[in-house]
Amino acid sequence: MPVVTLNYSSLQKLIGKVSKKQISELLPFLGLDIESEENNQVRVEYSPNRPDYSTDIGIALGLQGLLGIKTGAVKLKVKKSKDYSIKVNSDVSKIRPYVTAIVAKNGKIDSKILEQFIQMQEDLHMGIGRKRKKSSIGIHDLDKISFPLTYTATNRSTKFIPLKSQNENSVSQIIENTDVGRDYGHILGNSSKVPMIFDAKGETVSLPPIINAAITTITTKTKNLFVEVTGINKEDAEDMLSVVATILQSAGFSLESVNISGSKNSSPKFEPRKITISSKLVNQTLGLNLSNSKIVSSLKKSRLDATVKGTKIVCTIPPYRFDIFGPMDLVEETALGYGIQNLEPILSPSQTIGQMNPISLQLKSLNQIMIGLGYLEALNSSLTSKKVLYEMTNRIASKTISVLDSKSQEHTILRDSILPGLLENLSRNIHESYPQKLFETGTIFLPNNPIDEKISFAAISAHKEANFSEIKSILQSLLKIGFNLKIETKTFDHETFQKGKTASILIQGKQVGIIGEISSKTIENYKIRVPVVGFEINLSGLIFD
Amino acid sequence: MSQVFHEIEKKIISTLKIEPKLTPEKLQDKTQLSPDQIRRGIEWLKLKGLANVTESKIIEYSLGKNGLESFRKGLPERRLLDSLKKGSMNSSDLQKELGPVFGPAIGLAKKNDWITFVDNKISLKNPPSNIPGEKTLEQIGDGQILSEKIDQIDLKSLLIRPDFLIEKINKTKEITLAKTAQTLDFSSPDLGAIDVEAKVPDVYVTRTHPLKNTIDEIREIFVTLGFTEILGTMTQPSFWNFDALFTPQDHPARELQDTFFLDGISKKKIGTSEQIKRVSESHKKHWRYHWDISEARKMVLRTHTTCVTIKHLSEQKPDEARLFSLGRVFRNEKVSYKHLVEFNQIEGVVIGKDTSLRDLMGIQREFYKRIGITKIKFWPTFFPYTEPSLQTMVYNEKLGKWIELFGMGIFRPEVTKPLGISKPVLAWGGGIERIAMLKYGIDDVREFYNNHLSWLRSATKCQ
Repeated sequence: MPVVTLNYSSLQKLIGKVSKKQISELLPFLGLDIESEENNQVRVEYSPNRPDYSTDIGIALGLQGLLGIKTGAVKLKVKKSKDYSIKVNSDVSKIRPYVTAIVAKNGKIDSKILEQFIQMQEDLHMGIGRKRKKSSIGIHDLDKISFPLTYTATNRSTKFIPLKSQNENSVSQIIENTDVGRDYGHILGNSSKVPMIFDAKGETVSLPPIINAAITTITTKTKNLFVEVTGINKEDAEDMLSVVATILQSAGFSLESVNISGSKNSSPKFEPRKITISSKLVNQTLGLNLSNSKIVSSLKKSRLDATVKGTKIVCTIPPYRFDIFGPMDLVEETALGYGIQNLEPILSPSQTIGQMNPISLQLKSLNQIMIGLGYLEALNSSLTSKKVLYEMTNRIASKTISVLDSKSQEHTILRDSILPGLLENLSRNIHESYPQKLFETGTIFLPNNPIDEKISFAAISAHKEANFSEIKSILQSLLKIGFNLKIETKTFDHETFQKGKTASILIQGKQVGIIGEISSKTIENYKIRVPVVGFEINLSGLIFD
Repeated sequence: MSQVFHEIEKKIISTLKIEPKLTPEKLQDKTQLSPDQIRRGIEWLKLKGLANVTESKIIEYSLGKNGLESFRKGLPERRLLDSLKKGSMNSSDLQKELGPVFGPAIGLAKKNDWITFVDNKISLKNPPSNIPGEKTLEQIGDGQILSEKIDQIDLKSLLIRPDFLIEKINKTKEITLAKTAQTLDFSSPDLGAIDVEAKVPDVYVTRTHPLKNTIDEIREIFVTLGFTEILGTMTQPSFWNFDALFTPQDHPARELQDTFFLDGISKKKIGTSEQIKRVSESHKKHWRYHWDISEARKMVLRTHTTCVTIKHLSEQKPDEARLFSLGRVFRNEKVSYKHLVEFNQIEGVVIGKDTSLRDLMGIQREFYKRIGITKIKFWPTFFPYTEPSLQTMVYNEKLGKWIELFGMGIFRPEVTKPLGISKPVLAWGGGIERIAMLKYGIDDVREFYNNHLSWLRSATKCQ
């Protein structure tokens, strides 16, 4: 989850009359998790579906609503302008077909706001932009650009001075030699041409989705901004632009329109959506009995607009709230505006009778018997390593099920047996007193069209006098007492066990497991200094299906 | 307070009553106990405050190389004085006669004003009758003698001379009875009473694993709250783990760095054609991207148990039910004291009557009450498949802070409708290790899977 650092005094300036304590208490009720708090600063985690919360300006809008200082939807005031336009050439349609843009004038940019803009841009890229694949933003100094602009495809040999550089570079060089190039160059695929925004003088403005030109870099001296969003679909690009436009307007900029045309592109309308809900849905879902007017005022506190029309409530959703899909989202907005802290939990009597799963019941009774027999329960990961599963126990790795790109060396393949884990546990306890007797039940994974999951059960006993008949007695008693099953053992060979002291476990003639003395090689591998005996049986198909 | 004594203690006390001060060796002689029994007995009596042990040092001296020479031939200065008794001598003759002790002897004699020098001739001036050290030398001779038997001033003059004395230090213990022990009487029989106040060794318990114990408790609570347990597999096609739960295929949670994908394994049959068709349509409509069935077929290790419940609901479509599923879930995380790649989760749903958000909150409150947590509050949060969504914050007295436990919400219509579920579904769930950590007071989650016997044999519940 993304995190934003907020400054209490700047929030207070943005919100109006509010104490630091009030802010700190209200933040969680916007859905923001406080990570840490120090002096005048607070770090909060916000959900990626609310990119407007990546800035203190966006959070201040939310808090104003909850506090009742300013309620209702934020309306974008975009002045129609004929000065700015982008013409889209059809050659971008196969690479990155859409562009949308807005101009923001007469704002003040200090270093803190600049930092927040960059943060917002990054979060938009990571979240709804899907790492710039779906859509990406460029924010430029308007006064360095000559209109009209052209959005077109160009050769990879095209040169310009990219952001944070002094030298001219070709597109190929940028993609190959810079971090952003390597991270995002693949989005453009193998096409020989790349999308580019040029100004009226033929100067490069931006190479979406990779980098802007150096010339349009914004600084604390910049007053007027040009914001463009490019992407693979029009709606997502406009959604992203609406977040930036809302934040810029709230930061004091005046918005002016950019005319966009050509190859299925058109100017953004920033039109609010309307969704109708009923008080019945709200009240049934929340377990409340709110009047229509209370629902309306609650929605307004969540910075949406709503009016009562007959028995229904018509809600108006500003374009930057694209996280709202339908009526249920508005129920949540009502709850937030009403205040989650005002919802009193109720416990209604259950209409149903509870029941444990039969498998869990069987496993529980198996557990109890093993404990009665003097065994301690161990728990190991199902996701383990080749070393534990095969190398240390001399088992042969035939067909393993592995996971991709595990961050941990110890967790790379799924276990197909429980016993190796228990042997590894003994090696961690060679300094503890003996006898050491452990058991574990758990899922094992077998590759079979595509995967069979079985419940397996293993036990081991390690001490000076450990021997085959001891462990066979344990298994025999367990199955007899717990499940009225009779076992037979037949001579068998297995890599983990000692030759001549190993048997297969048979129940009604069917092989269900293996029992015996662990081979001296395995014991040496683990530096265990006492004999170890053990068994493993498959419970699936034996005591349950 | 009546005390019961071990036979060893009785023997030691009785012996010391007769001879109040004894070394362990002598005590061993008199009691006929073994050195180890004596050592243990003394230790017990000391702990009970019935005996005192005093340690003392005994120093013995014998003569070293130079000491023995002086014992035989006299001290260097004595030999000098004896030579001069015959009359004055010139220094080179005297040096010849005395050999290597000439230097030190002259120095000492001159310092004490026993001799004078006249024209290179040395003659006696005020010869002493006794020379310091001579007495001690005589006393020790070629034997050994205790330091306490020697005149300490006389001894000192020899101690400063090199190789004159060999010092041997013997440390000894002596045991005496404390006053309270003097009156103890063992003559009356104690009828086989034992020391009920003595410490006893720990016995190693065999038990259900502490984490499993917590899991069992939680399972039982939900069963008593009317929930029925359902089980499902840990390996799941992405379809049930993600697509069915409205998580778009290009969502960051579906990347290799967060989710364990099984290498090269896809499942052909992931659901009914109706389920697949409707889920994919919901994705295309709301998330605006190209939905790919091969992505939905990729097998993953489930990242939550919600996939088990949603599949069950889609297949059974119950009008009324309380269900839960409990088991291991997986995340591709770096293992640390806070995170495991594999942990346990419980997750439950309510469908039917009384399914408002407040009912959901009520079930949570009741659950927490039953595991001993009463201070709770609810905060809004975000999950891709529920709307509204909340999380529980519980107050931990020991840590003195609010911690996040279960998440909850009502399944989004975008989730339920395509799967043919027409009624609202309350859902909640969360990790179990976190609760077990609070219960057992541990702060490193890895401890649950280390299988250290030292911990398993001693872990104690604290809440």
